[in-house]
Amino acid sequence: MHLRRNWAIVIAAAGVLAVAAVVALMFARGQAGSGPTSAPAQSQPAASQPAPSQAASASFAWFRSETAPASWLRASLAGQSGVLSYPSMLRPLSGDAGTVTYGLNTRAGAALIYLNVTPRQGGETLQNWPGFRAEHLREDGETAVRIDAASGTLSFRGGQGRCVVDDYTTKIHNNHYREIACYVQGATSAHTASVLIAATRAVTWAQYGTLLEQVVKGYAVK
Amino acid sequence: MTARRVLLLVYAGVLALVTARGGASHASNGQPAKSSAPQTSSAQSSQPATSSGGGSGSGSGGIPQNNGGDHDGDNNGGPSDGDGNT
Repeated sequence: MHLRRNWAIVIAAAGVLAVAAVVALMFARGQAGSGPTSAPAQSQPAASQPAPSQAASASFAWFRSETAPASWLRASLAGQSGVLSYPSMLRPLSGDAGTVTYGLNTRAGAALIYLNVTPRQGGETLQNWPGFRAEHLREDGETAVRIDAASGTLSFRGGQGRCVVDDYTTKIHNNHYREIACYVQGATSAHTASVLIAATRAVTWAQYGTLLEQVVKGYAVK
Repeated sequence: MTARRVLLLVYAGVLALVTARGGASHASNGQPAKSSAPQTSSAQSSQPATSSGGGSGSGSGGIPQNNGGDHDGDNNGGPSDGDGNT
């Protein structure tokens, strides 16, 4: 009788141990699985991201300067130093004097498409453009500034330029934008260089990104 | 006596598993912080209420936010323009 009771205890104990082991294993698997799924796609470890040069070439494979669609309208900086082509659905927006700004907003005023051309004002150059743009965004108070891709020298109509694709969050309203920002200078003189911004909200990039690329491809300088 | 030994071993095993579970949890929390840019789903006003005052008047600190500086949309939550005033 005593021996039978001992065996019962042993079997019960073994059962408890087995259940505890299964629970521990399930928990460990849950921990391992929850990491990647909760991590945003844009913040994967560096090891899983392509090298910068690969990302740049892949990200700007779409670029090839070309004439804008015939139905598009045109707006120029003074002296035709920069000519922006844009679809007719866009409307002029307020901006700095001497700049060209067109866009499309929701009825509530949220920016859906934002195009801006500004004559070169600072120390931006073809060489320093990616860093210059990121630094300028930060100085303007934007946060979470991230350069997603930086091009090499691109051939624009009438000149050369460099572009970055970046995203940032505004200090006011925490709006998250993604933009193509290009520094473009004429073939004859860097003094007539200009900056082209083509932006939309990060959440509407899939909807308007191709149009923004088309705007960039159609930009002309002299 | 044998049963007591077995029970002791079982308790030790459970304690070891619980300790291991706590360690795994700690290791997971110790992963590098992952940043994610906040996204806004609601429409918010992003355009300036006033037109441009013009020019690149700010200093090296850039354009102040909250309708400061040149009153661009980028001072009010709008997209950043192409000014390069630094």
